[in-house]
Amino acid sequence: MNKKLLLMLCLFICTVGAVLAQNQTLRGKVSDANSTPIPGVSVIVRGTTQGATTDAEGNYQLAIPANARVGFSYIGFLSQEIAVGNQSTLNVTLLEDNRQLEEVVVTGLATSVKRSNAANAVTSIGAQQLTGVTRPQTVDGALNGKVPGVQITANSGAPGGGFSVKLRGISSVTQASEPLYIIDGVYIDNSQFATGAGTGSFNRATSQTAGTQDQASNRLADINPEDIENIEVLKGPSAAAIYGTRANAGVILITTKKGKSGRTTVSFGQDIGFAEANKFAGLAKSPWNLDKINNGVFLVSNADMLKLYTAAGGDNAPRYDYEREVYGNRALLRNTKLNVSGGTDRLRYYVNGSVLSEDGIQKNTGFKRNSLRANIDAKLSDFVDIAVGSNYINSSSSRSFSGNDNNGVSLGYNLAYLPPWLEQHVDANGNYPENPLTGQNLFQVVDKMRNTETTNRFIQSVTTNFRFINTTNHQLKLSLQGGIDYLLNESQAYAPPEMQYFSGGGAGLGYRGAVRNTTNRALNFNAQAFLVDNLQVNGFNFTTSVGTVRLSNNSTQSYIEGRGLKPGPVKNPNTADSRVTDTYLTSAQDVGVVGQEEINWRDRVIVTGGVRFDKSSLNGDNSKFYAFPKASAAVNVANFDFWTNKNTVSALKLRVAYGQTGRSASFGNTFTSLGNVAIDGRSGVVVPSILGNANAEPETASEIETGIDASFFNNRVTLEATYYDKKVLNFLYQYQLAPSTGASQINAYPVGDLQNKGIELSLTGQILKGANLGWTSTLNYWQNRTTVTRLSVPRFAVPSSGFGGFGTNQIIQGLSPTTWYGSPYAADGTPTAYDNSQPKFQLSSYNNITFLNNFTFSFLVHWSYKNYNSTLGQELMDEGGTTPDWLNKDNLYQADRVKASLGDGSAFNGVARIYGSPGVETRQFVQDASFVKLREISLYYNVPKVAFGKLFGNAVSAIKLGASGNNVFVASKYVGYDPEASNFGNRPIGTGVDLLSFPASRRVFFHLNVTF
Amino acid sequence: MKKHTVLAGLVTLALAGGLSSCAFFKTEDIIDPNNLSVDAFTNNPSRGQVQLLSNGILATARAGYGDLVASAGAIGRETIYSASTDNRYFTELLGTKADGFGGATDPNGIFNAYYSNFSQTRRRAEQFAKATETASALSAAEKSAAKGFARTIQAYAMLQLLNMQGKNGIRSGYTDLNSPGDQLKPLKFTDYAGGLDLVIATLNEGSTALDAGGTAFPFTFTSGWAGFTTPAAMKQVNRAIAARAFMYKQDWASMNTAVGQSFLSLTGDLNAGPKFNFSNDQNDTPNGLFQLPDGNGAPYVLFDEVVTSAEAGDTRIANKTRKRTATRSSGGIPSNYEIKLYSGVTAPIAIIRNEELILMSAEAKAQTNDLAGATAAINVVRTGAGLKAYSGASTKDALIAEVLKQRRYSLLFEGHRWFDARRYNLLGTLPFNTSPYKVFDAMVRPNAETQWELANPL
Repeated sequence: MNKKLLLMLCLFICTVGAVLAQNQTLRGKVSDANSTPIPGVSVIVRGTTQGATTDAEGNYQLAIPANARVGFSYIGFLSQEIAVGNQSTLNVTLLEDNRQLEEVVVTGLATSVKRSNAANAVTSIGAQQLTGVTRPQTVDGALNGKVPGVQITANSGAPGGGFSVKLRGISSVTQASEPLYIIDGVYIDNSQFATGAGTGSFNRATSQTAGTQDQASNRLADINPEDIENIEVLKGPSAAAIYGTRANAGVILITTKKGKSGRTTVSFGQDIGFAEANKFAGLAKSPWNLDKINNGVFLVSNADMLKLYTAAGGDNAPRYDYEREVYGNRALLRNTKLNVSGGTDRLRYYVNGSVLSEDGIQKNTGFKRNSLRANIDAKLSDFVDIAVGSNYINSSSSRSFSGNDNNGVSLGYNLAYLPPWLEQHVDANGNYPENPLTGQNLFQVVDKMRNTETTNRFIQSVTTNFRFINTTNHQLKLSLQGGIDYLLNESQAYAPPEMQYFSGGGAGLGYRGAVRNTTNRALNFNAQAFLVDNLQVNGFNFTTSVGTVRLSNNSTQSYIEGRGLKPGPVKNPNTADSRVTDTYLTSAQDVGVVGQEEINWRDRVIVTGGVRFDKSSLNGDNSKFYAFPKASAAVNVANFDFWTNKNTVSALKLRVAYGQTGRSASFGNTFTSLGNVAIDGRSGVVVPSILGNANAEPETASEIETGIDASFFNNRVTLEATYYDKKVLNFLYQYQLAPSTGASQINAYPVGDLQNKGIELSLTGQILKGANLGWTSTLNYWQNRTTVTRLSVPRFAVPSSGFGGFGTNQIIQGLSPTTWYGSPYAADGTPTAYDNSQPKFQLSSYNNITFLNNFTFSFLVHWSYKNYNSTLGQELMDEGGTTPDWLNKDNLYQADRVKASLGDGSAFNGVARIYGSPGVETRQFVQDASFVKLREISLYYNVPKVAFGKLFGNAVSAIKLGASGNNVFVASKYVGYDPEASNFGNRPIGTGVDLLSFPASRRVFFHLNVTF
Repeated sequence: MKKHTVLAGLVTLALAGGLSSCAFFKTEDIIDPNNLSVDAFTNNPSRGQVQLLSNGILATARAGYGDLVASAGAIGRETIYSASTDNRYFTELLGTKADGFGGATDPNGIFNAYYSNFSQTRRRAEQFAKATETASALSAAEKSAAKGFARTIQAYAMLQLLNMQGKNGIRSGYTDLNSPGDQLKPLKFTDYAGGLDLVIATLNEGSTALDAGGTAFPFTFTSGWAGFTTPAAMKQVNRAIAARAFMYKQDWASMNTAVGQSFLSLTGDLNAGPKFNFSNDQNDTPNGLFQLPDGNGAPYVLFDEVVTSAEAGDTRIANKTRKRTATRSSGGIPSNYEIKLYSGVTAPIAIIRNEELILMSAEAKAQTNDLAGATAAINVVRTGAGLKAYSGASTKDALIAEVLKQRRYSLLFEGHRWFDARRYNLLGTLPFNTSPYKVFDAMVRPNAETQWELANPL
């Protein structure tokens, strides 16, 4: 009681004293680029100690002298200083500063450090940059082009995502090498579950019963990007060492939004928009005449092609643009969200519900996601706090069939082989005309076949801190954290019995109709306990942390496929003539023990050392601990006393960091077990041709990263420059044996070493910072080169990295593993090396421009230079006669044709360049997939309160309107649909194999945001 | 402050206790939850386990046959697997890409599956023999019978592989089964002749073991083996395959002897012989060589020359081929006919048939100047095909030509024409043999094999 009284007295005296000295009062509101008020902003009159902070609604009031300059600053935002003049109201918009030097970055499992003291280039993407511009469907899509050092590739344009993310080149050669994703401490599942869409009964991309070419989405798609406050990207082992054996491919740390203490804010948002195909291959534009009919290399003889052509009406036959009929939908996109947040200084909450529903550019495709998240932070006492985050997601997608194909089902293939004059439209009686070329009518695929999946998922996090000691120069806390991610993913691939490819006219499989129901269940659990001690002595700050981590997961992947369906709508495999099933179980447990010491001398020199010991049930020896050390140093030159030119160079940091991470063998790779076969109604067993490595040890990556961070002119310009050298030692891969031994490979074998070297540059500038016109721009440049530095096994072609003579990736000592290889072969069998699927460099530019007080214009341009795909797009279209330049005679491979005694060698392009034609080698199919994409663009308008104030009483505090676009413009010379494509899905090596995958789309939105 | 320190101690203690008791630090030694252990079956297997292993051998022995027929059929200018979405089956196999791949098909390409398959069968059969050797539940005779069966299957797979690889030969063996930990090191390659000797030696070993194999196997057979389920009958199959090997070796006398010890019957069913079974059941394989009429997905179509060269009235044409309603084109090669050898996806495929034995008998006899015997055997086949008796010249050369012709139609789509043309130096007479085409004399050695050889010179 006495204390309170004293405080009030003080306040009174100060206020009175201050008021007496003033001659003017300044009021206003501070908000962010989304017009969300920012509470707690410090507003200070320059040259004085007078100041105020904004309240829960972002309002402030301050007495100022004449001709005052007032500064506005808040953590995570760019500071502003404004000359007040004679204004009495000053509303200020603070722009988020993603290069903010005072921001903290994670350096340990329970510790963080100010960004200005960090020894690693940890990229941090805030909500504004992630989803503030437009609405990418998925988190990985939202990161594309924004993080230097990352190569993100969309596997296809099908709704529901499917992205491969590579941090700093190739970290692992095995399939499971996507980065580790951690949301509020929960290690989440980002599997790409097989759906069976690519198996024999459907498009038969593979003859195997389990799908490797299902074109499935990865489960990061479940996460609502709009729940995210911040993403930190730990790109390499030097930053991620503390995550041990799960972190070889880097770590992506996601923090979701939290409530802010103050008034309850209710925010409603509605996005509505459309998507349309970015680009068509132009199949209908290909002219047809007798020259083509008589000279093409079709699937029927030229005489029969002529018969079909004549029957259709010949040169006068109507030409249909089937490509637009299939992919030409203008898809409706809807996204509704309602969130409530707020709290007191003891309890804060954030609850967000969102309903996203997006149709696809192809009929009967789409993506839906319903997400509910509740984050509660409670400070129970000065001694203990607890934070709980709960997220339920229900997501579903319908993706139809695209990519590789051997049944005539995938629409890209079907379209490429379909002449525009061949009638394929369904007739009045509902009959689909047969396709005499590939055996399957495309509209029947669109209308009748389905490839769908639904996921129900819970993500739960709990963090609690006990502060045992909390004095000015000594703090000790126990930090406990736990997380659960449970998901159930159910997919269905369905082909009704009337599909033509089951019949003689098509592929003919021996049964008619098939349905495969797949159920994937995965449970991930993680828990950690850390003691963190903070001690300040004589200008030194010691942060000591010790702790332990346990991770476990188990999954069941099973399917039942019914073959031979009865006519009718029932899709239960029980009604089928026969069934095949499979069940695959996995489980793994990792335990880590961590110790770390951070010493900070007056923010001038910061050194860190630490080590993690990990053991895993995935290793050959489940009880052996492996050590992953780290060490780093950062020197803030500008913080030394001798640094006098702080106005010009406000910060200058030299940094170097070293660290190691690892990756255990994939589940199952240590086992050598019998295979199951059956014949004549009997089951049998066979010794396997694939052997496990019972002694598998983790592969490791060690990285040294060094760089300079500098900021100039009071942080108006910041530069971050990084060089890294990341070595992957004893990388695990299949040891391909001489097939003559009857055993094809040993799994999880340490086959060699890789090296990635790269440069990352990031330059941010506040080019303009007037009250009426502000422009912030970030320019990122990054490049990576990968080399196989040691190979202890014979060189080999990476399985599923392409199609033989169309280009494959090979592991050859001294060369890049992502280079495309192919014919011609030298006499000793050495293939010719062509270009690389990794770009020579990537460049992106993010710009945020505020003008006329209430308008914000942003855009992100992304350039990927000289990344090459192994593509069959042009080949398939040439074989089908549908390439626009088919009838041109560009004298392609003419000399070779002369040599092969094919007359004078003249030939139409569509004949001269197809596989098997004289002189055509792999060069033809390794094509430049460079692109410039306008990834994001938007214009927002904050409706001034005067315009609506009376309309809703005082209930509405802000209204924001906007329009935005996602991938609205693509410049690329690439033949086919989109230069971003990967038939084999997420894999470190073998991305960029394109077989006319689902076209990418341009998405345009209109936004309405109302805050109450 | 003091209170907090006490609390700190308590919380830490509770946590430490909790962690250790809830097995926080435990990582399991996981055993494969999805598949059975190899050791349990290969080390002293029970009778039941021997049966499961033998079913495995019968199933795995099928692997490779379909690929052999597809590849040898194309190179022998008999059939084309006319895949609408993959032209490599009629570009690479017909030799139009030979320049880029050092005179062969892509060594990293799609035509290597047979190589792994036959090698796996070879290995599995050898492991089966070793496993049964350790089975205390089996009598000495039963072990011998099992070994005889295993060697027969092993030699069959080796011979198929050798014929595909031709001059490249096959591995003379591998060492790992006897010396664990040597990581599956293969032994040197044989040449073609050496490979044949190896096949023959393996067959002879099997034959001897079958002789000592008593009256019954310690396991039962699939229905396709009906009539060949005793060691004695298995020996007839063993000798039938031996006759093939002697034929390729051009050891005509031995061939004549072997075919005589086989299940040859000049009066019996031409289709008699052991067969592979197929189905769409779980873990089973369908007969992939069956096709519905007029398929457009990936039909097996004929080189028209096969049909147009046939004698009028040859019923094998009508029985085995079908005219398509539309002409299929495979890279510009037109086909008006397609294969219809099998009736469905569960139709069995012959391993070796009496009809082949009769023709082998004819060839052996012609080569050893028993021209009358040769003619008689030829006429059995001709009669079976609805043709009149042989009326050509009664010379060795004419009869050999006639045997080859009958083999073409009797064994159509069974993977023989290419090898027959090669052993009589007739590859140059096959259609589509000039630029841009090329008729290969052997399948390319797979890249993985070549790279192993370069990295581990023997």
